Amino acid sequence: MPQNETELFQALSDAVVGMDEDRARELSIEAVDRGIDAYTAIERGLVDGMGRAGELFESEEYFIPELLLCSDAMYAGLDILRPHLKVEDANQRRFKIVIGVVEGDTHDIGKNLVRIMLEASGFDVIDLGRDIPAQRFVDTAVSENADVIALSTLMTTTMDAMAEVVEKLQTSNLRERFKVILGGGPISPAFAKRIHADGYANSAPNAVKLVKQLAGVPA
Amino acid sequence: MSRDCMTPVQRFAAYGRGEAIDRLPCVPIVGNTAARIVGAKVADFRGNGKLIADAQVAAYRRFGYDVIRIFTDLYTQAEAMGARVHYPDDETAYLAAPAIESIEQIASLHPVDPHKDGNLPAHLEAMTRAVDAVGSEAVVTGALTGPFTTASFLIGTETLVRLMLKNPPAVHQLCEVALQGALTYAKAILDTGCTPSLTDAMCSTTVISPRQFREFGQPYLARLVEYIHSHNRSVTLHICGKTRAIWEQMCDTGADCLSIDNAADLAEAKAMVGHRARLMGNVSPSEIMLQGTPQQIRQAVRECVRKTHDNPKGFIVASGCSLPVETPFENIDAMLDAVREIGWPVHIEEEVEAAWRA
Repeated sequence: MPQNETELFQALSDAVVGMDEDRARELSIEAVDRGIDAYTAIERGLVDGMGRAGELFESEEYFIPELLLCSDAMYAGLDILRPHLKVEDANQRRFKIVIGVVEGDTHDIGKNLVRIMLEASGFDVIDLGRDIPAQRFVDTAVSENADVIALSTLMTTTMDAMAEVVEKLQTSNLRERFKVILGGGPISPAFAKRIHADGYANSAPNAVKLVKQLAGVPA
Repeated sequence: MSRDCMTPVQRFAAYGRGEAIDRLPCVPIVGNTAARIVGAKVADFRGNGKLIADAQVAAYRRFGYDVIRIFTDLYTQAEAMGARVHYPDDETAYLAAPAIESIEQIASLHPVDPHKDGNLPAHLEAMTRAVDAVGSEAVVTGALTGPFTTASFLIGTETLVRLMLKNPPAVHQLCEVALQGALTYAKAILDTGCTPSLTDAMCSTTVISPRQFREFGQPYLARLVEYIHSHNRSVTLHICGKTRAIWEQMCDTGADCLSIDNAADLAEAKAMVGHRARLMGNVSPSEIMLQGTPQQIRQAVRECVRKTHDNPKGFIVASGCSLPVETPFENIDAMLDAVREIGWPVHIEEEVEAAWRA
């Protein structure tokens, strides 16, 4: 076991990068047992590890399978550490994103990666899943008081469903209340502009950068 | 624009022998867009081989492209093995649920009976009818999904990619079942007189690593290609998304033609593997073919031809992937017209280019 806090954070981070779910769990329990601040352990351990995994993904050393296993390790640690967050850390108002795959499409790996990377960056993410009707994005964004609606599709056939979400926001006079961002294989910046979305990202790490921009957080 | 002087069969034969042709072969990859030609809904294709054939043949006659591909979606084999597919009224089908949920159920999977299971009999009927109708003049292919991609539909993509790292033997077991199904279906396709045309979407390095492709994709594709070659047919292999890092391996499967997605660059492909395989591609199906103007399509075609017309193993002007259902007819016409305008030997008027660049 690591000697001091710094070593433990490093080990947690390494467990995430090393896709070692058991080790991440074990180290998180260790952190709790030693009374280490849960927020710091998450930030400097798990989140740091997921950030490194994201960099390996960008440099094409890691691919989707590796990134998913890294996130499994991150979530295993989060499950243990989150209940120990101080009340003010747990209840902190964070920038909130409603994310989902639009109606007519069930390809959700890309959306899942974006959710993972957003959560790893400290954002509050509500994942609606896949094959989601336009109205549900709008209703959820309203009821959850979200900041961003993030839409994904891999299919050219379902791109129009993205425009439908924007239109519904417009007709309900809600357009100014939420930022709408898009991602997925057939989507381009030009398409995002055409349907009056607020942004487009071509990868999960870039989606995080985009949301940070919208949230006014330094990248 | 004047129509062509050669049939697709004549054109491919002459091109393969290095003889003069009237224009480069051109394949806008028309899938469910064919429904629009005959005024049908996409869901009407389900289980209706006659309608699929009528629509595909009508689309071929309407546009005059070189390869008819009997295709509705990538799920036909997985569906025949138990995956649940959802058919929206008038859009391309999508996977509702994989065939199995855990590795314990792999043993319950069985290879397909293409004459009985799912929509395979309808697709075979469509192939037979299309070959009967236009097989003497046009190349008619039958879509065949690669083993790794079918495996992903059998157990779910996320589960499969996690298993690649956690339990590789289970993935091999799944790919083997999928391969056996694909081999059986390939035989049935060949029996109709069609050539199987391979798509292995999930092998893209947008999803898995080149090393993972080498272990889980390539060997199964190689066995499928070997089988098709044993029937003296050449094989086209399409992998979606990014593929640059696996072009050599795609050639190692034995594939004769690589279909390159618009996420990759044809000039790079030519430099790397142009001496090993014919290339086809790669006008963007969404940005250009669906959303672009005929003038933008003409530009995109000329760009592809400029980069790749001198590919040692030949070049087919194509879309980077299947066209979206609602692709405007005039855009498909524009693709063919651009290829006809360039003609043969390939000639691209530089002055005109300079004008639109300026």
